[in-house]
Amino acid sequence: MASTAAVPFWRSAGMTYISYSNICANIVRNCLKEPHKSDALAREKVHFTVTKWSEGKPEKPSKIPALNPHMIGFYVFHVMYSIAHSPRSGGCFLRR
Amino acid sequence: MIIVPATTGQMGVLPGHVPTIAELKPGVMTVHEGTDVSKYFVSSGFAFIHANSVADVIAVEAVPVDHLDSNLVQKGLAEFTQKLGSASTDLEKAEAQIGVDVYSAMNSALTG
Repeated sequence: MASTAAVPFWRSAGMTYISYSNICANIVRNCLKEPHKSDALAREKVHFTVTKWSEGKPEKPSKIPALNPHMIGFYVFHVMYSIAHSPRSGGCFLRR
Repeated sequence: MIIVPATTGQMGVLPGHVPTIAELKPGVMTVHEGTDVSKYFVSSGFAFIHANSVADVIAVEAVPVDHLDSNLVQKGLAEFTQKLGSASTDLEKAEAQIGVDVYSAMNSALTG
């Protein structure tokens, strides 16, 4: 029996959940009153370090300055990224 | 008790609730502690209700409703409604629709 689960409109348009969630979060952040807005915009920055691998060995990592996450195309094999300091998020570190 | 804006509708959670994972849509989460009521706007996320009556609400942004600026919300809603009308590609339509959904939810949170 084929699955008949309805697909959300953003997924059928080719967007992933994480892009959707980040777009929603950006919209909310831009609608805040000051001083909360400047605090939130500081939280939006994501710092990336990109390490290209060739022949099983990592090359020198290159630092990409703070960028908007949903504009990156993930073309490198290993990307380390850390969410900008925020006492609430407690610093989340992901390595893929 | 909390009321969370699940994609399937407003969901009330009391101690003893069946373990559930619910995807949230942009909307208001109401927290009732005794007679105190606090409202937070969540941008999207998930609510996990565990068997031991602990509930976790995970959201990228969760702000008290009075931190929202209603002028910015109205402007944004008008802007994205217009974008939705003029969008051509699927992706543009999706982004415009997301904007309309989020701004409308913030609007109802502020006026409701």
